Amino acid sequence: MDMPAAAAGTASLVAGDAASQDSDVIIETRSLSKTYRDFWGRQKVRALKALDLEIRRGEIFGLLGPNGSGKTTTIKLVLGLLFPTSGRAMVFGKDASEVAKNERIGYLPEESYLYKFLNAEETLDFYGRLFDMPASSRRQRIDELIDRVGLNWARRRQLKEYSKGMTRRIGLAQALINDPELIVLDEPTTGLDPIGTREMKDMIIDLRSQGKTVLMCSHLLADVQDVCDRIAILYQGELKELGRVDRLLTVQDVTQIQVRGLTDAAKREIRQVIDRHGGELLRMDNPTTTLEDLFLNIVRDSEAHPGRRAHEVQ
Amino acid sequence: MALEKDILPLLDWLFPSIRGPGALVVFIAIAAGLAVISLFAGYLRMAIRLGPGEGFYAVAKAVATAVASDFPHTAPRRIWAMTRLAMQEAIRRRVLIAFGIFALIVLFAGWFLDRESDHPARLYLGVMLTAAQFMILVLAILLSTFSLPADIKSKTIYTVVTKPVRATEIVLGRIFGVIIVNTAILVLMGAISYVFVVRGLAHRHEIAVEDLEPLSGEAGGRQGVTSRDAYHRHRVTVDAEGRGRTDFIMDHDHEVGAAAGAGSEQKLIVGPPRGALVARVPIYGKMRFTDRTGRAGEGISVGKEWSYRKYIEGGSLAAAAWTFSGIKPRAFPETLPVEMTLSVFRTYKGDIVSGILGTMTVKHPGTGLSSEPIPFTAREFTLYRHEIPRKLKAVQADGTLRDIDLFESLVDEEGNVEIWIQCSERAQYFGMAQADLYIRGGDAPFAWNFCKAYVGIWLQMVIVTCFGVVFSTFLSGPVALFATAITLVVGLFRAFIISVATGEQVGGGPVESAIRMITQLNQTVELDLGKPIEWTIRGVDAVLMFFMWVAANVLPNYWTFNTSDFVAYGFNIDGNLLGQHCLIALAFVLVLTVYGYFFLKSREIAA
Repeated sequence: MDMPAAAAGTASLVAGDAASQDSDVIIETRSLSKTYRDFWGRQKVRALKALDLEIRRGEIFGLLGPNGSGKTTTIKLVLGLLFPTSGRAMVFGKDASEVAKNERIGYLPEESYLYKFLNAEETLDFYGRLFDMPASSRRQRIDELIDRVGLNWARRRQLKEYSKGMTRRIGLAQALINDPELIVLDEPTTGLDPIGTREMKDMIIDLRSQGKTVLMCSHLLADVQDVCDRIAILYQGELKELGRVDRLLTVQDVTQIQVRGLTDAAKREIRQVIDRHGGELLRMDNPTTTLEDLFLNIVRDSEAHPGRRAHEVQ
Repeated sequence: MALEKDILPLLDWLFPSIRGPGALVVFIAIAAGLAVISLFAGYLRMAIRLGPGEGFYAVAKAVATAVASDFPHTAPRRIWAMTRLAMQEAIRRRVLIAFGIFALIVLFAGWFLDRESDHPARLYLGVMLTAAQFMILVLAILLSTFSLPADIKSKTIYTVVTKPVRATEIVLGRIFGVIIVNTAILVLMGAISYVFVVRGLAHRHEIAVEDLEPLSGEAGGRQGVTSRDAYHRHRVTVDAEGRGRTDFIMDHDHEVGAAAGAGSEQKLIVGPPRGALVARVPIYGKMRFTDRTGRAGEGISVGKEWSYRKYIEGGSLAAAAWTFSGIKPRAFPETLPVEMTLSVFRTYKGDIVSGILGTMTVKHPGTGLSSEPIPFTAREFTLYRHEIPRKLKAVQADGTLRDIDLFESLVDEEGNVEIWIQCSERAQYFGMAQADLYIRGGDAPFAWNFCKAYVGIWLQMVIVTCFGVVFSTFLSGPVALFATAITLVVGLFRAFIISVATGEQVGGGPVESAIRMITQLNQTVELDLGKPIEWTIRGVDAVLMFFMWVAANVLPNYWTFNTSDFVAYGFNIDGNLLGQHCLIALAFVLVLTVYGYFFLKSREIAA
């Protein structure tokens, strides 16, 4: 049921509704604010101050910021787990407090809050039932998802025996049980080893290729940079920066050239060309790989050639 | 067994009739009242948070969402998923330990029960049913109040409420889950206690033929006593072939069969106890009194606190008359079995052993023709049983007797008949209430009656579970536990709390009583603390007493559901009564579920 926003009586909200009818806007917040209060109603923390956001279909949107900056609060407001102190959060054009919107949402919370006494199959079966899925399609979807997150070997083990990475995977599987259009990921890579992190990032990018919209928050900058199309940077509850990752990170007055197979003489000549054009050479050296790439190479090689020393890879 | 209220037929009770507006109307009125009060309270809360206009909008929206979206979209599959989860969680919390404790109680109960009691069945059944009742209620409180708060604390609820799950489904799922687990445990407890009672009361006696003495007057008849087993022995009278029955003590007798064995080893075969575990189906009549001059009266109060029984004076025309209807010869082809338990009030001691003499007379309600008085001896709290034969002698106007048939001359065409009780001894009194004399209309199966008593316990468990779950939607586990326990205590001590709240109890309200207790001041003495202090105390008490009155009237009266007395005293639990109890419980479940929905829906899960 969609309550007419006009009843709220403010012009801005009416305008906001009109915009959210546009099917391309998946999440929209209008001066969304949240103040935590103590038992006596005294103000404790202003966790979020008048946040305006629009997240569009098919993008991976990252909320970035240090601990306590309001990332998780924003996500909880969007999911209806918290009620805004003022302002409004709309998902699929509906108020965030409406249960019906959950039909099209998948949510992976910060620490995969799942029932530890269930096994992987039972967990997915339980969440499948919550979507009122009939038994046959539930069965099929469970097999598909367990396969996809690579937990086939542990499908009948209770979650309390799961490692952190396995819990994360089953958490992602439960978030995808309804084949959602919008996936909300709270710190998806926290606590994962580099391989797990890479797999999680690959899965997120894969979701975008299927046309899904992803909202994720993280304080691991590298992860955000790797997967997000657009980001918002929050600091102490306020929006500090918003835009496309590639544009935000581009340093406009610096040019970077990477070349393979240059001789020393050629390098000298290039320096001269730069000098001639009045440019300032900031650096010219051999690039280093990232530690992540090094680590992943070692692991892959070790799997291919068990027993060989790591440095022989080089 | 005292029955203070008539049991109305279910439909008369439910729908408006000459007796009153009917339970359904009362329920609708209370529900409407609660709805108005709750909406107003909800509006106040929202208005303080959002202001008067926005607050009204928020409340209207919450109600509209509930009625138009959440209630109709409540899906059985999701409820069942939540139910299964609650069950798995309960089992994981080792609730079966509670069942183990009950089994231990049963194992050792035999050591502590008075085995020489005059009513062993009453004792055994009373102990077993009470133990089961309290075990299951405690378990229901524990399971229902901790489940949801634990889910919120561990944040597992985040992954549930972000699915299209309605708050109704979460609340109902918890309620059903706890109920199913508790039902399974209750069934196990019932089975164990049934076996315990049946085995505990089973016993046999032996009768050595050579110990029997000849009975004077009857050819070949003999009498004697049985062996002492299960802490008692019976007197026995048998005919020439050794057949007969024992006397009726400790609520049972035995059938005695033919002799077996030979010589000095020859013994009579004694059957199992009869009558110990019964479910009598009583047919109650309407009672009225006549005073000592024979005119219609009200019965005398002998000054006891409980006004349940009224008394009639001996040696006068004072009488109690019961009018029964629907008594047909088809149902009672040979005799009309009457059972009564009279209370006796003595103004002088008299012969304390033999009891007080009285008479029973059967009368035609129209013609007034009456049978010859049937004498009996009344002993306090002892069941007197008499089978009125079809062939009776009637007293004619001239005082002579003539032979009549019970159904032809004393019962009218609609099956109405009167039974009159009078006390024969001067200055002694018989006390009676309507349910004290009844015609025994047959017996229902005991096992089924036992199940019905367990249904009564089950209903209490269901209501406690609903309260527990509803409190746990907005309180933390321990607080919800405390609140649910309070509803149980208020429900159990409802009569006392109402008497305090209405000022019937001497000594004032809670604050005044506390001061009296601390200062060791007699209840009837003035407080004497100075007028302003007294006024303050009385003012605070008045407010507290109002809330006590409201609480005691709104919360369930758990004793009404307790039908274990029926089983313990050997009466069938009327289907109408059970039906009424089920409907009352259903009303609580409905109202509490709606409250649970709104509490959970208006809660910030992640706060």
